[in-house]
Amino acid sequence: MAQEAQLPTTPDRGGAGTPLLQAKTLTKHFPLGGGAVVRAVDGVDFAVLKGETLGVVGESGCGKSTTARVVMQLIPQDKGEMLFDGEIVGGRSLTLKEYRRQAQMVFQDSYASLNPRLTIEDSVAFGPTVHGVSKPAAILKARELLTKVGLDPARFAARYPHELSGGQRQRVNIARALALGPRLVILDEAVSALDKSVEAQVLNLLADLREEFGLTYIFISHDLNVVRFISDRVMVMYLGEVVEIGPVDELYDDPRHPYTRALLSAMPSMDPDNRTMEAPLAGDPPNPINPPDGCRFHPRCPHAQTVCAKVKPVLARTGEGAREAACHMEVAGSGHSRAPKLEEAA
Amino acid sequence: MLTYLAKRILYVLPVAFGVSLFCFLLVHIAPGDPLTSVLPPDASQAMQDELRRIYGFDRPLPVQFGLWLMKALQGDLGTSIATGRPVAAEVWRAVGNTLLIAILATIIGFLLGSFFGFVAGYFRGSWLDKMASIVAVLGVSVPHYWLGMVMVIVFSVQLGWLPPGGAGPGGSAAWKWDWEHVSYMILPAITMSVIPMGIVARTVRALVADILNQEFVPALRAKGLMDFGVFKHVVKNAAPTALAVMGLQLGYLLGGSILIETVFSWPGTGFLLGNAIFQRDLPLLQGTILVLAMFFVTLNVLVDIVQGLLDPRVRRR
Amino acid sequence: MSAITSETTPAIVVPPLAKSPGYWAGVWRRFKYDKVAVAAGIVVLLIILMAVFADYIAPADPTRSSMLRRLRPIGTPGYPLGADELGRDMLSRLIHGARLSLFMGVVPVFVAFFLGSIIGVSAGFFGGKFNTITMRTVDVFYAFPSVLLAIALSGALGAGITNSLISLTIVFIPPIARIAESVTTQVRSMDYVEAARASGAGSGTIIRVHVLGNVLGPIFVYATSLISVSMILASGLSFLGLGTKPPTPEWGLMLNTLRTAIYVQPWVAALPGVAIFITSISFNLLSDGLRSAMDVKG
Repeated sequence: MAQEAQLPTTPDRGGAGTPLLQAKTLTKHFPLGGGAVVRAVDGVDFAVLKGETLGVVGESGCGKSTTARVVMQLIPQDKGEMLFDGEIVGGRSLTLKEYRRQAQMVFQDSYASLNPRLTIEDSVAFGPTVHGVSKPAAILKARELLTKVGLDPARFAARYPHELSGGQRQRVNIARALALGPRLVILDEAVSALDKSVEAQVLNLLADLREEFGLTYIFISHDLNVVRFISDRVMVMYLGEVVEIGPVDELYDDPRHPYTRALLSAMPSMDPDNRTMEAPLAGDPPNPINPPDGCRFHPRCPHAQTVCAKVKPVLARTGEGAREAACHMEVAGSGHSRAPKLEEAA
Repeated sequence: MLTYLAKRILYVLPVAFGVSLFCFLLVHIAPGDPLTSVLPPDASQAMQDELRRIYGFDRPLPVQFGLWLMKALQGDLGTSIATGRPVAAEVWRAVGNTLLIAILATIIGFLLGSFFGFVAGYFRGSWLDKMASIVAVLGVSVPHYWLGMVMVIVFSVQLGWLPPGGAGPGGSAAWKWDWEHVSYMILPAITMSVIPMGIVARTVRALVADILNQEFVPALRAKGLMDFGVFKHVVKNAAPTALAVMGLQLGYLLGGSILIETVFSWPGTGFLLGNAIFQRDLPLLQGTILVLAMFFVTLNVLVDIVQGLLDPRVRRR
Repeated sequence: MSAITSETTPAIVVPPLAKSPGYWAGVWRRFKYDKVAVAAGIVVLLIILMAVFADYIAPADPTRSSMLRRLRPIGTPGYPLGADELGRDMLSRLIHGARLSLFMGVVPVFVAFFLGSIIGVSAGFFGGKFNTITMRTVDVFYAFPSVLLAIALSGALGAGITNSLISLTIVFIPPIARIAESVTTQVRSMDYVEAARASGAGSGTIIRVHVLGNVLGPIFVYATSLISVSMILASGLSFLGLGTKPPTPEWGLMLNTLRTAIYVQPWVAALPGVAIFITSISFNLLSDGLRSAMDVKG
């Protein structure tokens, strides 16, 4: 169908297999007044490959949502930069506005993320009109997308958000995110508020859409089962830092960081043989205001030693494949008694 | 608690500064020269300049403000252009008179308002509630200066029970706490009490309904506590907010009494303001408004502090 | 913009869909069943019509005085509501008085609604230092009881209709700006505003499409609740002689000039107040009805 005023598709510059998004030492601190600072995101490095889904997990308060908002540039980072398909976000060749066309976000609260005074199709059509698409063309596109997310436009397009169920609203939000023809979609707890059966439908829809539109997802959730289902790689965050990152099956089957192990052991498993022997999380819940020195996890870590309280471990390659963990026990010569011996590593 | 106190006071200082700046500028937004009202029409240029210098109107504005503020902080509000007497003395005497009826009015309004509000909230949805709600709407909708006139018509002109206005047989100077004098306070105080009554009634009704809706009230009833126990509980929970509203209302009455005082010729601040306006006595206008506004600001802070003392949750805001 | 490839080839036809009843349809449906509010609305409408068509409705010239017929009681032949201190027909004066009284009560609130919304919405939307400075300034005006502020400003500016309108507008801007600021702050933190920003929309577009539609309703409801106060205050200023000048009929001024007549014709003297009272109650009840129909909290 030849349409006027469509948004141009963006060519893939780096080619398949190269990172779509690279975050370099992203940092976001919130001053609280009185000198206290919330270190919501503290020097986070990661890359999202083209066509993959990167899952992000961690307890509440670990900085996953702030990371999402910084990646979306809804809040500016204090330090660090991001490269999108090799170009600096907000730089000369990739303006913020253009970046925002190529990266989109779906929020957790399906109701709060739709303007109650706009009809569904107007909400979906809003983004394209901002980028210069004519209103009628945007509306037609919106109806097309509503069909794609499983909502019959004849029934839903002219209705208001409060007339829809939570699952239907979240489909609208997905359509809204897709309306700009993005390459990267950030899903911030996008299915967490839905009933289990609806959640499964929306997850399948997300997987289908990824195929159809060649999307890349950053999938943020506290639900480890859901993350395992949809992700290719998983990033584990703790108090504003990345503690482990790796391919989903390796990471779930053989977690390297004690925090990942604890997190996974707390996960309800259907399979009694599949239980890890790690003790569940103990100690104070994480507080990003005054994070401990050294390894931030050490006050709750069953293997903590003197070195953990003094030296901050860095994210380093470990195990097989593209796996990284930030733990002294993984680094030869770190000073931890359970670290691999130096000659072994050499 | 101390940090809460300090925060409140730190917050109010810029507001108080702004209020004084506003009062200072009042004289300068006024059209015409403030001196014209005291000058004879044929005053010579030399005489005009002389007076201008005496009143300080020849200095640049920020300097005038600084000097004025310094003096005001020491209790010197300048000299009335019309009478030549110090403004501060005139204002303080009037404030006393206004406080007298404003406090009386607040007490009456609070008692009646709490009663109506309580009944309405306790028997929510009943005809009593509807009656009380109507009274509350009437209370906030009535032009109180007109109500004052109607009071005079009914109780002074028609029935002849109470005096129609003034501050007593011998004027405000000869005030005594006897019936002959107190009778002059009754009509203005009752009229004025209508303003807080409606608002107190609305607040109390909402509070009582809210408290009765909370889960622990049926629990209290289930525990076999008599209705009196529930009543006591409701009063204990509603009192802090209701008292806060009352405190704020007293502030409004201090500033809002001008129309009622005019109707009853009560020699308070409202009366003083009326005179200041008609004689275009701007220092007097400025001084009166400054004192009233500062009263209001201070009262607000006091209410906040008392509320903070009674209810620790307030402090965290 | 580079993102457009718009060619004006055949216009796109968007097949129309049956629209859901929108928000305002729901408001109207709820309002319709509120008998008190509808009655109040009708009274307000009648008063407005009375003011507009005063020339045709009033039986006599409101300024024609007659020294022989001063202060006649209610029910005098030819003077259904009596005659005032200059022998003018009270009924005609009350009808004509609606014009200025309504005008002076309603206009300041509307102007303040406009200006207060601009101040409050921008303070709420942009936040930060701008918010702090703006709202602290607003707080200074908020520190005066409204009656005192109105009288202070009118007193300093001098008597007259324009000065009264200016004073009352200044009185109502701070409370409206406060409400506007708090509603906007709430809306600004909603995800749909974030989503709009994530679509690359600028502040102007976001305010126009996503903020105003959600904040103007609550601000408007609050503003309508001030009309009753404004009526009372405006008439109060005239009652003090700070508003309009005789012989123009205006309810507050009529109360003032009839004050001395309470010993002769008390009920005639009280009539202008009845008019103010009825108008003020009607606006209050209408505003209450609007508030619950629009489901605005608080």
